[in-house]
Amino acid sequence: MKIKIDGLECEANYGEYILEVAKRNGIHIPTLCHTDALPGQGSCRLCIVEVIEGGKNKVVVSCLYPVTNEIEVLTNSDKIRRMRKNIIRLLAARAPESEHIRKLKEEYKVPEEKRFNVDKGEKCILCGLCVRACEAVGVYAISSVNRGITKKISPPFEEPPEDCIGCGACAQVCPTGAIALKEFEGKRVIWDKTFELVKCSVCGNYFTTREQYEFLKQKYGLEAEEFLCDKCRKKSTAQKLVF
Amino acid sequence: MVEDNMPDKKTVLICCGTGCLANNSYEIYRELKKRVEAAGEDISVKPVLKTTGCNGLCEKGPVITILPEDIFYCKVKISDVDEIFEKTLLKGEIIERLLYLDIKTGKKVKSHKESEFFKRQKKIALRNIGQIDPANIEDYIQRGGYRALKKALFEMSPDEIINEVEKSGLRGRGGAGFPTGYKWKQAKKINSFPKYVICNGDEGDPGAFMDRSVMEGDPHSIIEGMIIGAYAVGAQKGFVYIRDEYALAVKNVSRAIKDAYGRGFLGENILGSGFNLDIEIVRGGGAFVCGESTALMASIEGRVGEPRVKYIRSTEKGLWGQPTVLNNVETWANVPVIVDRGAKWFSSIGTEKSKGTKVFSLVGKVNNTGLIEVPMGVTLREIIFDIGGGIPGGKKFKAVQTGGPSGGCIPESLLDLPVDFDSLDKAGSMMGSGGMIVMDESNCMVEVARYYLKFLSEESCGKCTPCREGIRRMLEILEDICAGKGREEDIKLLLELAETVREASLCGLGKTAPNPVLTTIKYFKDEYLAHIKEKRCPAGVCKELTSYRINQELCKRCGVCAKKCPAGAIFSKPKSPYVIDNNKCIVCGACREACRFNAIEVMGRREG
Ligand SMILES: Cc1cc2nc3c(=O)[nH]c(=O)nc-3n(C[C@H](O)[C@H](O)[C@H](O)COP(=O)(O)O)c2cc1C
Ligand code: SF4
Ligand code: SF4
Ligand code: SF4
Ligand code: FES
Ligand code: FES
Repeated sequence: MKIKIDGLECEANYGEYILEVAKRNGIHIPTLCHTDALPGQGSCRLCIVEVIEGGKNKVVVSCLYPVTNEIEVLTNSDKIRRMRKNIIRLLAARAPESEHIRKLKEEYKVPEEKRFNVDKGEKCILCGLCVRACEAVGVYAISSVNRGITKKISPPFEEPPEDCIGCGACAQVCPTGAIALKEFEGKRVIWDKTFELVKCSVCGNYFTTREQYEFLKQKYGLEAEEFLCDKCRKKSTAQKLVF
Repeated sequence: MVEDNMPDKKTVLICCGTGCLANNSYEIYRELKKRVEAAGEDISVKPVLKTTGCNGLCEKGPVITILPEDIFYCKVKISDVDEIFEKTLLKGEIIERLLYLDIKTGKKVKSHKESEFFKRQKKIALRNIGQIDPANIEDYIQRGGYRALKKALFEMSPDEIINEVEKSGLRGRGGAGFPTGYKWKQAKKINSFPKYVICNGDEGDPGAFMDRSVMEGDPHSIIEGMIIGAYAVGAQKGFVYIRDEYALAVKNVSRAIKDAYGRGFLGENILGSGFNLDIEIVRGGGAFVCGESTALMASIEGRVGEPRVKYIRSTEKGLWGQPTVLNNVETWANVPVIVDRGAKWFSSIGTEKSKGTKVFSLVGKVNNTGLIEVPMGVTLREIIFDIGGGIPGGKKFKAVQTGGPSGGCIPESLLDLPVDFDSLDKAGSMMGSGGMIVMDESNCMVEVARYYLKFLSEESCGKCTPCREGIRRMLEILEDICAGKGREEDIKLLLELAETVREASLCGLGKTAPNPVLTTIKYFKDEYLAHIKEKRCPAGVCKELTSYRINQELCKRCGVCAKKCPAGAIFSKPKSPYVIDNNKCIVCGACREACRFNAIEVMGRREG
């Protein structure tokens, strides 16, 4: 079916999200809580657009609004720009330390905050991606606690999470770099928990935590041979295929 | 079924709703029962004693009604039991002291139904409450209960039922006023099974108790409605989602479900019709937001009660991704009456686009507080001044807040507004579930907005940015204004944030959260300006912006204020009027309350 985005005719499949259609047609809509692997939060609201349907305008999030009619979409109307700017202003007051949010702030010309009491030292925008990522790994080590303005992401009892395997998936998906992951002297520290890294028995590089290796081995029933990093495993599989 | 169906036999109805129970109504029932039993042969006609659900007059509780004379007693104490037995039950004498005082006329009335408070009401959803023992299915049946179910199962097709509900014009009573018949039609259309029906009994609005009263006082009306709805859309499983604190509602609904199974109204092959339905109770998740439809379904599924986007309707993909009809308690309770008496009758009540009646909990600065049920279209003035009996203490009306925490404040100039879904919306407020809080001149409207935003900031689930961060920043600004730290540009900023919160939030909570701020700015902007520019709280509520002064001409030197002042801040020299020492005054307002000559004036922030 045909839809119009910012005046451009686009071909869309029934049920496809506006964001996908826009992307395919080279129209950029900013996002924070959306990744292709973990869609469906709808929490940051940065990707809002105006949809015109049956003569009526409504504001929806493009990452989750399915195309079911021949609609017209405005990704950059005055209203959307004004509200997006406000959302960035709110996020910047919440997470002033995040580099990414600072960049958005510049891009959308949000002035320096003079009215709100900006949160000190915060980077997290509570998008929820980290929790989803950890669930996807199959670990469930962290979750969001409390509600309303006291909501936060935290391991149980705010202690280093017992179940965490140090895989770093949460840190990787976090759009604002809010989860600290440090590596030094063969160790990885995340969520205030220290993990021992293991070396690849072929190339000798540190590549994962012992806990993650054990977790994956158990989950996928791998044979307990040597430790192989991704690169070397691929190489060895390829070699096995050749010979 | 709506008309009163009074027994000829002498019956004493003792309210045992949550409010009256808290004031020992069950002990009153037990004592009276003891007396009646002990009397044995002494009385010619032994009265039947029944415990009923909440009559909606909790403030006047415990209340009891004696039939067939329809004598209504309020604020009954255990010590009154003997007298009631001796005088009223044995001799038919009326005890003046316990009668209901009609504020409007200043007279005591024998039956509360003679009072202005009741005369203007029309009971459909509350038809049985206070008249029956909710634990006794026979009582319900005797008043026409389950007649509609039989009609639906044996005389109507599912489509005919849906048509009837659609034609009746019934709109959801849980908040948004969505047309019920249309919702059912959508769910019926989808060819995917299983389907579900849910009753929303979460009632998270602080101070509201409409739904609690129906669940406690007439649970079968909800169950009958749900069976009819389930049959119409093809659902075989239903859930009643009840707010966790509502222990008595849970008890009474459980009992009703059990008895309905016992009578063949639930379970397999209902009344031999071939239709099956099971209903079970789910206890609420304990948060205001759990009443929101998608959060509620998540909670039933055992997940965190957080809303999700609903670009696809629940009637298509609801509970566990299956077609689901979710309706409010009051909506369901209306259904049997519509099926029984027909769409034509129902739609003759109300306004063009809002049919039937609506239950409100009328509270705040109004003489008669309680649950009321009125036809749609009565004016706010009628509700507040005729039914509610006006404002106590001769004070001036200022605003009425409708629609729960995220409703709006409606000013005096709109008092003649006919109350229905659309006109309240147009005024910037909403029907919501039916909370109605009356405010007088002693309420500060900026403080009112702050109060509701505080509630919403705590009750927001915190998932999406505009709601979580936007409400928080709006609250921050309102707190500043109330503390005398407001800035000139604050009103503009509040309006701008309000737009983003309203339009970009994920669920209904955020989408409506700015209402208290928007309406108070719209109708009471002068109060905002007084706070911001003059550093003065006209109502004398915001402590940082209030000081008191004794008007030397009005002061009669009675000295009451000085006696009442807990801080010892009021003194006088012989023969001269009293004065307040602003350095000692803690701005509690006790003097102002106490002064009978209105001599204590509200001033701006104290100097220095
Ligand atoms: C924050 C929030 C809280 C709500 N709480 C309730 C509630 O306590 N009870 C209720 O019936 N509906 C509540 N609703 C409305 C429901 O989402 C839903 O619209 C309603 O239950 C549908 O039933 P109805 O069509 O019969 O009104 C709430 C909505 C929101 C956004
Ligand atoms: S590092 Fe720990 S918390 Fe983060 S995704 Fe992996 S297991 Fe979960
Ligand atoms: S830590 Fe990062 S991924 Fe997790 S909620 Fe915060 S911003 Fe999102
Ligand atoms: S406001 Fe309170 S402290 Fe001040 S004078 Fe009156 S009674 Fe006393
Ligand atoms: S990217 Fe769409 S809501 Fe966050
Ligand atoms: S509990 Fe008796 S009137 Fe409400």
